[in-house]
This record gives sequence, C-alpha cells and structure tokens, in this order.
Amino acid sequence: MSVAVIVLGLALLWAAMTGSFSGLNLLLGAAIGTLAVLLLRKSLAQPRAVHKLRMAVSLAGLFLRELALSAVRVAIVVLTPNLKSALHPEIVAFPLSVRSDAEITLLANLITLTPGTLSIDVSADRSVLYVHVLTASTSQNVIVEIANGFEARVRELFA
Amino acid sequence: MSPAAALSLASFVALLMLGLALLISTVRIIIGPTLADRVLALDLLTVVAMGFVAAIAIRTGLTLYLDIAIALALLGFLATIALARYIMSRRLKSGGAPQ
Amino acid sequence: MITDLLVYTGCVVLVLGAAFTLIASIGVVRLPDLYTRMHAASKAGAVGGGLVLLAVALTCFDAGVALRAVVGIVFLLLTTPVGAHLLARANHHITDQKLNDGSITQLKSRNRRNPQR
Repeated sequence: MSVAVIVLGLALLWAAMTGSFSGLNLLLGAAIGTLAVLLLRKSLAQPRAVHKLRMAVSLAGLFLRELALSAVRVAIVVLTPNLKSALHPEIVAFPLSVRSDAEITLLANLITLTPGTLSIDVSADRSVLYVHVLTASTSQNVIVEIANGFEARVRELFA
Repeated sequence: MSPAAALSLASFVALLMLGLALLISTVRIIIGPTLADRVLALDLLTVVAMGFVAAIAIRTGLTLYLDIAIALALLGFLATIALARYIMSRRLKSGGAPQ
Repeated sequence: MITDLLVYTGCVVLVLGAAFTLIASIGVVRLPDLYTRMHAASKAGAVGGGLVLLAVALTCFDAGVALRAVVGIVFLLLTTPVGAHLLARANHHITDQKLNDGSITQLKSRNRRNPQR
C-alpha cells in the first residue's frame, strides 16, 4: 500500500520535472519509480519507515516555522536604533545527549537556523556543543529549550 | 493594478533593495577588520547576488536565469568552505603569527 | 483568477525576500562582532534568498522550473548553516574573541597565543 503511494509520488515528481503530464510520460515516471523502489527495497523495508517519514515531515514543518520566526527576530534586532541594549551575546556550552555524527550534524544545522542561536563548535569528545546566543535570557533557559525542543525530536527521529 | 504591472513594480523595488544590499555588504568586505569578517560578507554577497539574478529571472521571464542563480549559490557555498579552511590552515602553518 | 492570486503573492514574497536580504547586509555592517554578524548573515540572508527563489517558483507557472526553485531553496537552507558553522569554527580556532558583555570565550586554550586584534 505504502509502496504504491511512493511510486505514484515519484511518477508525479517525474512528470513535474520533465514538464509534461501526458499519460505516456506518467507511465515512464511510474516505471522509473518502480525501478528506484526495487533498488531501495532494503532500506524501505524498515518497519517504521512510514512513521519516520511522517516525523521527518513534522520536524521540517517545525523547522520552517522557527526559521521564519528567527529571521524576523534578527531583523528586529538589526533595526533597533539602540543596538547595545538589544544585544546580549553569550556562548553557551550545551551538553549533547545525542552521539552519532548524523544526529549531531542535523542538530547543529537546526540550531544555526533557529531563533537567536548559532552553533560554533563541537568538543573533541562530542559531549558538548558550543552555541552562540544573540539575546540570551539565561544560559540555562537556552539549554532547556534546545534539549526539550529539537534534540528530543532529533533523537526520536533516529531512534 | 494588473498582475503584469504589479510584477514589474515588485521586481523593480526588489532589484533596488538587492542592489543596495550588494553595496552595503561591500562596505563590510572593505572595512574588515579580520579575514573572517570579509569571508562572511563575501558569503552574504553571493547570496544577495543570487537573489539579484533570481529577481532578474522574474522581471525578464527568462527562467534560464534561475539555473544561474542556483549555480551561484553553490559556488558561494564552496568558496566559503574553501576560505574557512584557508583561515584555519593559515593560522596553523604560520604558528600563530599575525597576518 | 488563481494565477492572478499567485502572481500577487509572488510579488509580496519577492519584496519581502529582498527586504530580508537588505536587512541581513545592514546587520553585517551594524552588528559589533563576528558571531553576531553571523546571525544576521546566516538567518536573514538564507530566508531572504529563499523567499526570492520562492517568488520565482510562484510566478513562473512551470512545474519544472518551480521544482528547480524549490530544490534551490532546500539547497540554500542546507548549505547556509554549514558555511556559517565552518566559518565560526575557523574563527573560534584562531581567536579568543572578547564578547560585548565581557565574557571571554576560552573553549580551547591551544591557540591562545596570539589574539587576532
């Protein structure tokens, strides 16, 4: 059932890419999609692939919302007449509980594009992520926010 | 206002703003003060230039410009990576000597 | 009707994207140190560039071109934080930058011999 949905989606994507929605072209797209699914059947056969896909999509949605918010917030800071009072830059050491390369990379990239935070460096033993905060309230707040927000979602996604 | 006129006006305003952004980021490239600041401004400059080319694509209706814009974004990314690595290796090689 | 609406939306998105890019460049000049400048360049810059590409996707009426524009947006959102991160890391390795509130970043001590300013 889910395989059929994937093939259909790939066929539509193919038609959009080539710019023609004729029946023959859709059929060609479906054939290529089937081939791709056949090639990837091992990784698609994972028991919770569909569930994970849904979680990835919801994470992407959350990310886009946060990205819009962060751009607006940076814009407000930049356009403040009295810059000194609006800025409280600080570097926060965030203790990582995720371990794999993929998880840390994803988390670091998510942090960079979310409100007021920018990841700078990962310590050599991968236990601490250094995060630069533009307008820090307290460093504890920032740590709790990241740990309960993106880190939890990332861990769930890779679990 | 007809859609075509609105699009023409919007792309004109956008090109004006993006041109101004190009000039302003050039200021940071000139005044520095460190190499990292200049690389950052250069990175932003390629993003602004990409937006400029994309706005031209909208204004002229030639979608070929979109490919140029995407290629420019790729080039900017690679340049930033190369320059960041250069900043790191330069300091390591020269043993901490100032520029 | 719906195509008109798409074009008008595209106009708004285009001007919004250009405005964010302009704000990013103003931020890069106005903000006081490299890391804060990086906030402006990476966030406002990426959003601005992405919105302009989105405007292309909205106004071109061509599925292939729209898809290319969306792929461009995804690419931009993936690469901008990586570039910013690399640059921040490079700068962090070679300097101990004094931040505005007086806290000094001494995350690694091995390259502390010669602050760059």
